[in-house]
Amino acid sequence: MPSKATRFVHGRIVRNTGHGIFYRMEVSIPDRIEFVPGQFAMVSGWPGNDPLLPRPLAIFRAGGTRSRATVEFVYKVVGRGTALLSGLHDGDPLSITLPLGNGFDLGAPDRTWWLAGGGVGFSTVFPAGVALSQGKAEFEMFLGSRTRDQLPPREWIPGGDLPGRVHLCTDDGTAGFFGTVTDAIRERLAALSPPGRARVSILSCGPREMLSGIAAAAAAHGVPTQVSLENHMACGFGVCWGCVAAVRDGDRTAYRRVCREGPVFDAGEIVW
Amino acid sequence: MSASGTFGYGLEFSPFYDISRLGAVVVKGLSLLPTAGNAPQRIVETPAGMLNAIGLQNIGVERFVADVAPRLADAGAVFVANIYGRTIEEYEGVARRLSELPALAAIELNASCPNVKEGGIAFGSTSEGLSGLTRRVRSATKKPLWVKLSPNVTDVGKMARVAEESGADAVTLINTLVGLAVDHRTRRPKLSNVTGGLSGPAIKPVALRMVWEACKAVRIPVVGIGGIQSAEDALEFLLVGAAAVQVGTANFRNPNACVEIIEGIREFFAREKIARLDDYRGGILLRG
Ligand SMILES: Cc1cc2nc3c(=O)[nH]c(=O)nc-3n(C[C@H](O)[C@H](O)[C@H](O)COP(=O)(O)OP(=O)(O)OC[C@H]3O[C@@H](n4cnc5c(N)ncnc54)[C@H](O)[C@@H]3O)c2cc1C
Ligand SMILES: Cc1cc2nc3c(=O)[nH]c(=O)nc-3n(C[C@H](O)[C@H](O)[C@H](O)COP(=O)(O)O)c2cc1C
Ligand code: FES
Repeated sequence: MPSKATRFVHGRIVRNTGHGIFYRMEVSIPDRIEFVPGQFAMVSGWPGNDPLLPRPLAIFRAGGTRSRATVEFVYKVVGRGTALLSGLHDGDPLSITLPLGNGFDLGAPDRTWWLAGGGVGFSTVFPAGVALSQGKAEFEMFLGSRTRDQLPPREWIPGGDLPGRVHLCTDDGTAGFFGTVTDAIRERLAALSPPGRARVSILSCGPREMLSGIAAAAAAHGVPTQVSLENHMACGFGVCWGCVAAVRDGDRTAYRRVCREGPVFDAGEIVW
Repeated sequence: MSASGTFGYGLEFSPFYDISRLGAVVVKGLSLLPTAGNAPQRIVETPAGMLNAIGLQNIGVERFVADVAPRLADAGAVFVANIYGRTIEEYEGVARRLSELPALAAIELNASCPNVKEGGIAFGSTSEGLSGLTRRVRSATKKPLWVKLSPNVTDVGKMARVAEESGADAVTLINTLVGLAVDHRTRRPKLSNVTGGLSGPAIKPVALRMVWEACKAVRIPVVGIGGIQSAEDALEFLLVGAAAVQVGTANFRNPNACVEIIEGIREFFAREKIARLDDYRGGILLRG
């Protein structure tokens, strides 16, 4: 049985290859893990103290056999840490704490799920798509990027071969919908009949402006929405209080740890 | 020991190892009432270090006493409470309440937090402030009292002596060094609080020097902190005279850091046939 318990493990890279602007990294770990879509890992794998802190990455996939367990990540190079990760080779060691945080709540079976991923936020909603496919639940994906060549490869997308399931959105109109994921969702919501809208639930991860836009559109139609936040983290397991997000607490604002009480929050809770 | 603010309330580490293996768990700074802390962004990474401006977000002493302390005791942990107040009366209130806990090993007075406007560093940066605060809290509790000193002073040895003369049973140092990070494009500070406290390997040489100075200045035990990541780092603090060490930021990168350091020290002593800590402690060899 794979375990859900959080642990700190030493893994080894099995594969770390670039696909367009993304890298996909597979790592062998001592034991199989079970995770909830939306959960993440803290990863560090470079020698020395600069950068000092591990980097949070969503768990893209986990599996393998008992003797050869693996976990996969998809990441985009944005700064020093991810650049160093992209330079690691097969066999290189990696320290990983996982699985962390609270993932998406996929509780209600009779819903139409809309999965919204902006940029590399796609890697966080991807496992939710896999889980929903396996449960034969109805879902559609909205994937956005600036231009066509910054979209994830088609073969990575769960349900990507089913027409109508995946809506690609580009800011420059070079592929799919001409506009952002937020624009696409706003339009689709407006076009649906009230009973159709009443069945929709949204799961989303991406830049903050995208999430706040989706949250506002969904709130206007009373559509339940979960957002996965990507705040800066130091520890990733709830001990430094560095990663907090402002949330509504009655009529006050409180700070909740994104790594512990999140990264997935109800969109209506967040003070945007 | 773990360093306050880097170890939550201790139980968060139970998935990684049995926390009773530590010399002590030093918990996140507690105030009289729950404190919300500063607005994000609260952390910035710097070369070999990090700046934090958490602003002492915590659950307050009542919830600690009711919910956390019994679970720490059940886990067999020796635990120390780090405390903080905006006024001397608040410090006294927290200390009194904690004194009712039979299992609490010591109170660590945070006279040095750089991230709050009132209290903290305001008391720790002058001899008069530190002495007044230490004396008042001393008479509010019978628990062993450790005073955590600020490195943001000119003569840390003198401040250690002030704490000793005012009734401290030990001094702890260093807390974080005040730092600033600014974005050259947006021209804005990276932390919402503007300045923050620097920790991690980047501060180790400063911490070692200050611990060494404090050890020369006082007779009470000195607890060394600052950038310790490995057994070798910890041994260096013992060599300059520290009686014990705390590990902070290293817990973020490696949740097993504290136990690996304890094991490493044990192995080093066994290999070098050092029977007692006192045969090694303070053994720095200086020329002349
Ligand atoms: C729960 C969670 C899951 C994540 N999952 C993924 C994932 O699956 N794939 C992926 O590519 N990225 C993911 N991220 C974002 C990823 O952690 C950051 O891109 C990474 O930490 C940047 O590190 P760096 O050293 O390359 O950049 P740095 O040099 O630290 O910073 C470069 C730039 O990135 C920004 N940045 C730094 N940290 C973050 C962050 N946590 N979130 C957003 N921007 C940041 C900085 O502001 C700066 O502009 C996730 C973040 C969180 C919190
Ligand atoms: C995120 C964070 C929070 C901290 N909170 C506290 C605190 O509540 N009380 C306190 O006395 N020190 C606090 N500190 C200071 C540490 O206990 C320690 O003195 C400092 O980080 C230096 O040690 P290090 O380099 O090993 O981290 C905090 C440090 C960090 C990084
Ligand atoms: S990153 Fe440390 S509490 Fe969330």
